[in-house]
Amino acid sequence: MAGAGHSRFASLHDVELSSHAAMGERAAFGELVRRHGSAVRGVLRRMGAAPAEADDVAQDAFLTAFERIAEFRGEGTFAAWVKKIAARLYLRRLQREKKLGALAVEAADDETRPQRSDADASIDLDGALKALGATERLCVTMCFGAGLSHTEAAEALNLPLGTVKSHVKRGLDKLRARLAPESGAVAEERRSNG
Amino acid sequence: MAEVDFERRLERLFAEGPELADAGAFAERVERRLDAGWTARRWLIGAAGVVGGVIGASQLMVSNLFQRVETAGDSARLISSGFNRISSQTDWLSVASAGGVGVWVAAAAAVVMMGFVLTRVIGEI
Repeated sequence: MAGAGHSRFASLHDVELSSHAAMGERAAFGELVRRHGSAVRGVLRRMGAAPAEADDVAQDAFLTAFERIAEFRGEGTFAAWVKKIAARLYLRRLQREKKLGALAVEAADDETRPQRSDADASIDLDGALKALGATERLCVTMCFGAGLSHTEAAEALNLPLGTVKSHVKRGLDKLRARLAPESGAVAEERRSNG
Repeated sequence: MAEVDFERRLERLFAEGPELADAGAFAERVERRLDAGWTARRWLIGAAGVVGGVIGASQLMVSNLFQRVETAGDSARLISSGFNRISSQTDWLSVASAGGVGVWVAAAAAVVMMGFVLTRVIGEI
């Protein structure tokens, strides 16, 4: 049954699939999960979730998306919509497990954390994200991976907007230094001259 | 400008996340949970229907519906006998004054009306 459904829906666009899903076609929604499951799980892992935890939250996010599929009108991409749902669910889980407060405390230590010096090695995004403190990583991933605005991230994290902005800025500076060393060096030079 | 470029590049890097090896298995797990949710919902709706049916049937029994139907039948018989009597006489005033049959007819009509109304109300409920 499932196989027939997949081949029938494989050629359709996400918006068409979501319309089918809104009419109760679970196979159409299954195709959406197949297409975007990895991206959603990836964002959660980059936010700091362990693989099993990321899978759990991603599953819940897709189930929530199915329940609310009528709200998706194709204004953004389906993946971005589910990523936002997943990011919020993950934060709620952190709050429930009282881990969000611990992250805020950890943020104070981020400044003194030694930076890894593997600049010669080829560094991918995941490697670069590891150089960030937990809160910086969370903020950067929420804003650039899950597509939340700074205000939305601040609300979801229950942090002042200014705090989120400075976490994002610090995180971006670190990422820039690792992902684009030459421009990072220029920025550093500019900062020291200025 | 360079900052904006870098931010766009970062968004692209986030969007180009690698396809995980167990993507198919993950999708199947989500579909299984969706199916389980729908099965549970179907059972819930079915159970609610059965419970509602049982409650409705018991309410009909308690409200003596059958007795009411019998009463309505009696009323109808009463009305038809009243009409027979009326049709056998030509003078309406004398009918009314003779035995108060008009009062009985009106009462019977009211009972029939009540029967209809009650049936309708029960049907609506």
